[in-house]
Amino acid sequence: MLRLPAFDLLEPTSLEEALHLLAEHGGDAMPIAGGTDLLPNMKHELFTPKVLVSLTSIPALRAIEDLGDAWRLGAGCPLGELANHPGLQQSLPALAEALGAVGGPHHRRMGTLGGNLCLDTRCLYYNQTFQWREALGFCLKKDGDVCHVAGGRKCVAAASNDSAPPLLVYDATVEIVGPGGARTLPVREFYHPDGISNTRLEDGELVVALRVAKPSQGTRAAFHKLRRSGAIDFPLLNMAVSLRLDERGTLVALSAAVSALAARPNLVKGLDRFLGQVPDEALVEAIANRCRRGSVPLTNLATDPEWRRAMVPVFIKRLLQRCLDA
Amino acid sequence: MSDKKKRDQGGADIVKGKASPIHGVDLPGGDVIGRPLRKADGLDKATGLALYTDDIQFPDMLHAKILRSPLPHARIKSIDYSEALAMDGVVDVMVGSELPIPYCVIPWTRDETALCTDKVRFIGDGVAAVAAVDEATAIEACKRIKVDYEALKPILTIEAAKQPPEDEAIHVGNRRGNQHKYVDLSFGDLDAGFRHSTSIAHDDYYFHGTTHAPIEPHCAIGKPEPGGQLCIISATQVPHYLQRELARVLGMAQQNIRVIQPALGGAFGGKSEPFDLEFVVAHLARKTGRPVKCLYTREEVFYSHRGRHPMAMNFKVGLDDEGKIQAVRSKIDLDGGAYSSFGLVTTYYAGQLLTGPYDFASYGFTSTRYYTNKPCCGPKRGHGSVQPRFAFECALDEAAAGLGLDPMTVRERNTMPRVATTVNGMRVQSNGFLACLQAARKASGWDEKWGKLPRGRGIGVAGSMYISGTNYPVYPNEMPQSGVTVQLDRSGRALVLCGASDIGQGSDSMFTYIVAEELGIEPGHVRIVSSDTDLTPVDLGAYSSRITFMAGNACIDACRRLRKLLLEAAATALGQSAKRLRLAGGYAVAVDDTAVSLPMQEVFRLAEAENGTLSASGWYNTPLLGGEYRGGTIGSSPAYSFTCHVAEVDIDLETGELRVPKVWVAHDCGRALNPVIVEGQMEGSTYMGAAELMMEDQDFYPADHAAPGLHLGPSLLDYPIPTSSEVPEFEALIIESLDPEGPYGAKEAGEGPLHSTIPAIANAIHDAVGIRLKTLPITAAKIWRALQETH
Amino acid sequence: MAESVLKLKINGFVRRVAVSDQETLLEVLRYTLGLTGSKQGCDKGDCGACTVLVDGEPVLACLSLAKRNADKEILTIEGLSGPEGPHAVQDAFDNAGAMQCGFCQPGMILSAAALLERDPEPDDEAIRHALSGNLCRCTGYTRIFTAVRQAAGIEADRKGVDPRPAPAPPVDPKLP
Ligand SMILES: Cc1cc2nc3c(=O)[nH]c(=O)nc-3n(C[C@H](O)[C@H](O)[C@H](O)COP(=O)(O)OP(=O)(O)OC[C@H]3O[C@@H](n4cnc5c(N)ncnc54)[C@H](O)[C@@H]3O)c2cc1C
Ligand code: SF4
Ligand code: FES
Ligand code: FES
Repeated sequence: MLRLPAFDLLEPTSLEEALHLLAEHGGDAMPIAGGTDLLPNMKHELFTPKVLVSLTSIPALRAIEDLGDAWRLGAGCPLGELANHPGLQQSLPALAEALGAVGGPHHRRMGTLGGNLCLDTRCLYYNQTFQWREALGFCLKKDGDVCHVAGGRKCVAAASNDSAPPLLVYDATVEIVGPGGARTLPVREFYHPDGISNTRLEDGELVVALRVAKPSQGTRAAFHKLRRSGAIDFPLLNMAVSLRLDERGTLVALSAAVSALAARPNLVKGLDRFLGQVPDEALVEAIANRCRRGSVPLTNLATDPEWRRAMVPVFIKRLLQRCLDA
Repeated sequence: MSDKKKRDQGGADIVKGKASPIHGVDLPGGDVIGRPLRKADGLDKATGLALYTDDIQFPDMLHAKILRSPLPHARIKSIDYSEALAMDGVVDVMVGSELPIPYCVIPWTRDETALCTDKVRFIGDGVAAVAAVDEATAIEACKRIKVDYEALKPILTIEAAKQPPEDEAIHVGNRRGNQHKYVDLSFGDLDAGFRHSTSIAHDDYYFHGTTHAPIEPHCAIGKPEPGGQLCIISATQVPHYLQRELARVLGMAQQNIRVIQPALGGAFGGKSEPFDLEFVVAHLARKTGRPVKCLYTREEVFYSHRGRHPMAMNFKVGLDDEGKIQAVRSKIDLDGGAYSSFGLVTTYYAGQLLTGPYDFASYGFTSTRYYTNKPCCGPKRGHGSVQPRFAFECALDEAAAGLGLDPMTVRERNTMPRVATTVNGMRVQSNGFLACLQAARKASGWDEKWGKLPRGRGIGVAGSMYISGTNYPVYPNEMPQSGVTVQLDRSGRALVLCGASDIGQGSDSMFTYIVAEELGIEPGHVRIVSSDTDLTPVDLGAYSSRITFMAGNACIDACRRLRKLLLEAAATALGQSAKRLRLAGGYAVAVDDTAVSLPMQEVFRLAEAENGTLSASGWYNTPLLGGEYRGGTIGSSPAYSFTCHVAEVDIDLETGELRVPKVWVAHDCGRALNPVIVEGQMEGSTYMGAAELMMEDQDFYPADHAAPGLHLGPSLLDYPIPTSSEVPEFEALIIESLDPEGPYGAKEAGEGPLHSTIPAIANAIHDAVGIRLKTLPITAAKIWRALQETH
Repeated sequence: MAESVLKLKINGFVRRVAVSDQETLLEVLRYTLGLTGSKQGCDKGDCGACTVLVDGEPVLACLSLAKRNADKEILTIEGLSGPEGPHAVQDAFDNAGAMQCGFCQPGMILSAAALLERDPEPDDEAIRHALSGNLCRCTGYTRIFTAVRQAAGIEADRKGVDPRPAPAPPVDPKLP
């Protein structure tokens, strides 16, 4: 079997206690929520923390709160619970859909929103056993010094969490607590383009919740995951779109996100130029092409990158159409 | 041995023993046979009671782990395991030189050792093994073994294997460099055949590598037993061959080795020969005097492989004006991986098994297997013949299109007669292929769909034929290929002893049904002890779809001997003639007066009192079969099954994404001893074929990569297999042609129904988008690229 | 590293087991407690063979730290059947011929049982969805779907017979 490296499991029952434990053990400790990402990675000896601080016994992380104009989603909420939440399905359909597309039913039951947000980036040269990586000669992200994908000094492992694109188009905010107190970061600033560690969380910090403003009246959003099979697989490409039309049918808000390319989930820039127009086929085409331009798939996943790139405008168009038809 | 019985078996003499008595269809069956009964072990498996190898623990058991090579091709200069051996908890370490005798399931090609002795031949080749008090310690100890390698240039493709090796051949001393086996056979007048052809399809096809991926990883336990004997409990599908090779390699008498196969969690050919872990646990158990277990990780399962050979195939198919097949010529190169495995047979099967269900006026094939520095290929469900079947059935569609013939008609027109001898000398005594075509045509609504569906949607058909065991026992001998002993107990219970391996296909259940049918007792009163070499008569194992046919016949043979005694005893007691009695439903009853009856338990007692302890052995051996030429017996089977698949596809024209909403599979299994089990085999086979076409790919990094020869992703995440959410719908249509020599007319159902799945889907893709994709797997990206090119 | 004695409630009984912190629930079930009905096919979350029910919900035991299950109700395949015999889902899987090698079945059956608990009359889509975390390599899933529908009473047993193994023959009192 694949054995887990030895560690001490600490099970704090409050956020304060968890923060304290993380601070006390510093670099030796890691938080563990559902463990569906961290434990396979530890079995692959990608992480060998001496201490795991379990977040599952902290009730404060488990709440789904309707704040009237926004949702506050506890980092510890299981993905399946969020995906099946009728209020969320109605108000944040792209997010509910994305969370319902994660892995298989077990992963959604065990995996949490916080864990998904902080999912380690993935790469076909990285998510492998120690023996395999040894035969490869390791890579930059772990134990080695070359990148087999880009060849450079930067890791470009893929952001593979399904939650990121919808959270980007909904412009969600991450609530963080840490040794330095509480802070918030918009999801669009939460990630940076470094595959070794793609979040801006500081040591000892925890994600407490996600705050997502309820989209204003008339907003439509949709999500699509390009995948190999129907379940138990990470995305080959993740896309989300959100838009709003005014009474006359002109486009007054638009955002799109594309992910599973490199380390940062990509919120497509330069879409404002399309506002103020009445969407027709040409406009949809133009938006889709704009999304394609910024999306450059790499060989970090085991699929034809050219095909993946070509799929961006195809699915963005379909998502836009779905929103317009809704 | 008589000269007549000597046949050339592709390199050595083989001896054919006495053919066994054939009971065949003279026993109609019907009380039990043919009914949708439960499986003998179904509830054990559903409740978790069934024990698989890794479920078994022994007191004081050690755990072994094998250190594997990180290099694809290298000489081992030295191994230093002192640090590992010194570790707390490590009991012993072994290296290759301790068991240097080479082995292979095919005795003519022994080129593998328990652990590597002088060189490693693929990434994952076993180099040393540790026995420790627990698995974690063994894993850690492996990391502390230092191996000094001298790297050699790896050979990773068929093309590279054809060249003279840069450093050295993978098997130094092999006469033909990296070529392992070459077969060139031709039947009839090919030149004339192509001259008479008006439509010739001639193309290159490529079948990629795929692996079995049973959900249970390989596991074995070695256990010293009193009296210097050694017991090996293993997840194997060939206990008898394993016992033979263990004895040879360990230098022990065969009778001192006992092999037990517990419940097996899937195999599909992936457990049909000895593996390193079995030698390792045997040797370490002998050395340490303690039970030793070794369990593969999923990664190791991918390295042990023995899956489908990648094949580069050139196919030329010629049809005359009427669409009759005049000539078929193929040239096939097989990428064999690092060792031989069943490769000698595979090389023949790649050509020999194609000559049905259609009449070939002439046929020729050249097939060549090469060694490469990758995990060894071997037999996977539909051994050797799934790949050429894909190429041929696609080429047949192409050639038919040249005549404006539709795919259904060309297949109907070429179907061989019900009783026939194929162009390469295979004897066919039952053939329900035409009925298969008709059933699939009707059920699928073919006539309303083919060529008529909107672009993006399509329907395709393909056919195939497969063996029900072969007359080629892996080592030459005159003894039966299957033996069954049935013992009757005065409690009313029948005990069946047989070496056959139930790997999920249901062979234990088959024995239950046969004994219940023959002896008139309830299925619940039959007890099965199978695949334990100490207790059971030899059966050669679960491969080549041989068990129902061979062990089934052997079981009938044993039952028949007992049945006679039972009928006599009942006749005496009831004052009736034996001819006028029936054994059924737990009673001996008079055919014309059901009031005259006796419970079988009492019949057992009376028969035992009369004859002494009741036990009988039955056996099966094939009759002399096959063509009179070198290799003519390889692929010759006492009976052939026939299959037809019709598949529907739905392609997203913008993305290339392929959906297979439904596949119809019509299969001539001779006689369905239990239709539920037969349908299960048909669905499971079709599923596996569809998966191979759509997503599976056992592939390795190329020579110009940082890690040449490294598996692309040895896990069930990176090697995807279908989940319940996207699996196609399957409809199984059983066709019963009643083979004259099969048990109650039965033939195989476990492998045949895989073959034509793949070309049926490929042909449906062609119908949908007019594109002929000749390289597998057919991924969305590939379809998309092809669609781009045609725009 | 740290070890502790844990009370695990498994199949209705509280079991005291010594576990180290890094042990998974699967290791403890299979190798410490001998509850080998839960299988291991990949050990890292890819196959579902290790499925057990924790508080009624299917969970991957290979990715579940044993220690974190202290206050939970764990149900393994061994606990699904009771003194009254096999659970309706187990019986239906057997009756429909849904198992071949059987290795995926404990996990599959537990996922199916949890589904029917939640949704007693699932449609085909719901069945496909609920079982999509449990890989089966033998059956092509066809008969598994049938079994779930039969267990739910949506599909009749097509056989119209009860081919259950016969009970032991009664001992004839006249016989010695
Ligand atoms: C076979 C398989 C398939 C999968 N498929 C998908 C998929 O398709 N899409 C997908 O998105 N994911 C997939 N996953 C990954 C995973 O199941 C999910 O992403 C899940 O949401 C992770 O959540 P978790 O709670 O289990 O994370 P954990 O494993 O507990 O944690 C993941 C990381 O986040 C950190 N972390 C967790 N919680 C917090 C917090 N509150 N604050 C700060 N850091 C935190 C951990 O330290 C760790 O580094 C798959 C996993 C497997 C095994
Ligand atoms: S992108 Fe490069 S550095 Fe990052 S994990 Fe992949 S190979 Fe390693
Ligand atoms: S063993 Fe747990 S998912 Fe495979
Ligand atoms: S029955 Fe064998 S894996 Fe499902």
